[in-house]
Amino acid sequence: MKKSCEAAVHAVGGTAVIELTGEVDGGAAGVLNAAYEQAVGSGDPGTVVLDFARVGYINSTGIALIVSVLARARAERRKVVASGLSEHYREIFDITRLSDFIEVFGDLDTAVSQLAGPAA
Amino acid sequence: MTSVARPAPRRLAAFAVPSEPGNERLALARVAEAVAASGLPPARLERLKTAVAEATMNAIEHGNRGRPEVPVDVEVTQEGDDIVVAITDLGGEHAPPGPAEEPDLLLKLEGEQQARGWGLFLIRNMVDAMQVRTDGPRHTIQLTMRGGGATPVPHSGGLEGGGHEEEL
Repeated sequence: MKKSCEAAVHAVGGTAVIELTGEVDGGAAGVLNAAYEQAVGSGDPGTVVLDFARVGYINSTGIALIVSVLARARAERRKVVASGLSEHYREIFDITRLSDFIEVFGDLDTAVSQLAGPAA
Repeated sequence: MTSVARPAPRRLAAFAVPSEPGNERLALARVAEAVAASGLPPARLERLKTAVAEATMNAIEHGNRGRPEVPVDVEVTQEGDDIVVAITDLGGEHAPPGPAEEPDLLLKLEGEQQARGWGLFLIRNMVDAMQVRTDGPRHTIQLTMRGGGATPVPHSGGLEGGGHEEEL
């Protein structure tokens, strides 16, 4: 029943993308922290995208993990954005005020294209 | 003066889960199944599921202290249009988990509050009313989701409803 969290990391221009799959709860700490390390370890990206399109469950401990990632990114002067949140988790981002600090895009393609700016 | 008789509460489900990490998922799935025919709109069902998961996690971790042999009891009742979920551990009267203060994201980002401590905040903001009562070792958190599509307002610290309540 439980789907452990997995993460795939890749870069698009100056943006690092962390695509999360499964459940973001206390068990996701190692995966999320390792993914962030990998994401910022090469290329020194100015923005990190957290994609939640394949995430089915986020609990309060998962929210705390996201807060920790955001705190670290802010200390490193990086921007964090999110994509692929369901309506419910979008609401939770609003209630917790995460959306005041993390710009939320509907999907990953939109996030990446917006972050890349207008085509030349 | 006329009065309208309120329908008797109807039990939709009653079950127990062992106090093991992750069993909050079991509880939320069983509650979702129990209320499937109640007409609760999907967005409000998602809110109830989150509240049930957080309350069950608290009961497992802080009430029953993760002892698998001690069950968390869950009862789902329909009272008129309202859905009421009671989640009971055997930890007696205990302090709510996490910091006493309301979570403040900016303080957390600045390291002045720990990153954790969102559970009760989420519960309060997901349901229309929350009551806590203790009867000997039985510590119950009761969550009410009203019918008719009421939208909870962001929580400002109070509790609603009758019975013995404790300030959280």
